[in-house]
Amino acid sequence: MSTTTPRTEPTAPAAPATDAAGGSGRGAGVRRVRGLARANATLMTRNRLTLLYAVVLPVLPLVLLLTGPRGDVAVGAATVVTALMMTLLFPVYYNLLSQFVTRRDELVLKRLRTGETRDAEILVALALPGLVVAVTVSLVTVVVALALGAPAPVNPVLYAGAVLLGALMSVALAYWTAAWTRNAEAAQMTSLPVILLLVVGQVAVGFPDSVQRWTDWTPGAALTALVRIGWFGLDDGSTTPSLDLADTWSVGLQPVLVLVLWTAVGLDLARRSLRWEPQR
Amino acid sequence: MTPTPRRPSTDRPGRPGRPGRPGPSPRRSPGDATGTATGTPTGAPAIELRDLRRTYGHGSSAYDAVRGVDLEVAAGSVTALLGTNGAGKTSTLELVEGLAAPTGGEVRVLGLDPVVDRARVRPRTGVLLQSSGFPADLTVRETLRMWAATVSAPRPVEESLERLTLTDRADVRVGALSGGEQRRLDLACTLMGRPEVVLLDEPTTGLDPESRRDVWQIVRDLRDDGAAVLLTTHYLEEAEALADHLAIMHAGRVRRAGTPAEIAEGHPSTVRLDTPDRTLPALPAGRVDDDGRTTTLHTTDLQATLTALLAWADAEGVRLDRLDARTASLESVFLAIAEGRDAPSPDRSPDPSPAPSPAPATAAPTAGAPR
Repeated sequence: MSTTTPRTEPTAPAAPATDAAGGSGRGAGVRRVRGLARANATLMTRNRLTLLYAVVLPVLPLVLLLTGPRGDVAVGAATVVTALMMTLLFPVYYNLLSQFVTRRDELVLKRLRTGETRDAEILVALALPGLVVAVTVSLVTVVVALALGAPAPVNPVLYAGAVLLGALMSVALAYWTAAWTRNAEAAQMTSLPVILLLVVGQVAVGFPDSVQRWTDWTPGAALTALVRIGWFGLDDGSTTPSLDLADTWSVGLQPVLVLVLWTAVGLDLARRSLRWEPQR
Repeated sequence: MTPTPRRPSTDRPGRPGRPGRPGPSPRRSPGDATGTATGTPTGAPAIELRDLRRTYGHGSSAYDAVRGVDLEVAAGSVTALLGTNGAGKTSTLELVEGLAAPTGGEVRVLGLDPVVDRARVRPRTGVLLQSSGFPADLTVRETLRMWAATVSAPRPVEESLERLTLTDRADVRVGALSGGEQRRLDLACTLMGRPEVVLLDEPTTGLDPESRRDVWQIVRDLRDDGAAVLLTTHYLEEAEALADHLAIMHAGRVRRAGTPAEIAEGHPSTVRLDTPDRTLPALPAGRVDDDGRTTTLHTTDLQATLTALLAWADAEGVRLDRLDARTASLESVFLAIAEGRDAPSPDRSPDPSPAPSPAPATAAPTAGAPR
């Protein structure tokens, strides 16, 4: 999401005729989302904390790759998983949560809803900058990891799926959390359950099996599994690659389903609980 | 809607001394913009409210904020909704804006339902909410550019800056603007799509006198260019200066509607004077209040009362100190309604157009001076 693109001032005569016919055309919707997302991206860079969360935190874990022996699979998997978690938690989940709550407080959302913009367009435009960061960081992760000796992903589609599904799920959970978050400060507390849901799966590797059976259903565990399976061919708990491409599809099915489930639940909760105006 | 410039005259920024109030602009003949069903039926008002009702909550906690409002706003006219806090002005306006659907009754904007026909109504309406809402960290120009992206046929950003005299502040962040500047930015967004229906919720609250005059001029320009303007205000002098029609709301209903003169009509004029040292004669006046220091006469014929009073004083050689005579004003009517001293209104609010029946003389306050 570049904020330095040359200005293109919309002028009345240049507005496409289809847009003018009630602003209902698909082109008009795309134009609205693009204009709003651009403003949201600008805002992301204006606030030091959101900028830190968006750009620095997600790539920080890549430094881990320099610690272990080159090409070590365990270190590689831990690094990629941590980078993905940070990406989903900060630029996508937390930034979106705090931005939505802040805009709601500032009555920006209410103002936007008096115009031609539709609710869904407001939500998509708010989420877009974080999603673009997530995809970008994931691509950077691939490049850096390969350059530092990590093996090439066994099943890139599974890794990409983990990134995209995880991002969509984080967006849904952010909107759901926003529904019961009073203001931007309260977000520091209300975000904890979701942060826990993501982190617990990653640290659960050391838990006994009886506990892991449950933590496997957390989105964090599903994301961890997908990175280990899809990129490194690591089966459950093992430290040496054992899965080939065909295996990854069958073993990866369960964590994919877990993510789809969380995404669906998150979207449904968000849809039902969304509030556009601050509580009085 | 053709994107050709339809309102060359509005493109001149807030110019003072524009001629009075011409009739509805021919440019805005209903339906001219599209030539399709989106236009209003010929002669229909731009805004039409019929027995409009809005209830918050359910069951025992339900609250009726709007209790059967009828109102019409014609193209090329300004209507002001007056009322104390909680009278239902904003609740009514939100229904016209399409932010909520009414509990009962009907809203028509340009002949369309603002909720159901949202996609066709929104490009033709401009809304100003009671509180401005913009991200503090964007500059004025960035904000306008963002808003322009959401408007079907926006004015150029530079033109909007100029029109609301924000050009000098274009690269300042919204958070650093004064209240008046933020309001102007908000108004620039409201007017960016060249709206035919303009809904302004307290457009001048918190503005300094100069900014207020600027906003007034913008509203007059809008009217002269054929827009239908519906605004709410706390300021009576604003309503009197700006509006062709007034509707005074109280407790969810329109209690009185019409031109400022029509509203004051039938309400008593008042004569005040320091209570003289001898008893006043019988005067052609209605109720007489005397609190020991000031005597107040309520009269429906100010001239006759005043003549009789002055003749008596002249003949008796009485000096009338601090004599003050005034015609019934919007203020006295407003206060009477706000304090619930107004004559009980019919269950349904009076029809505001074309001319409401003048309030009967019995509508006079029955207790206390209008102050």
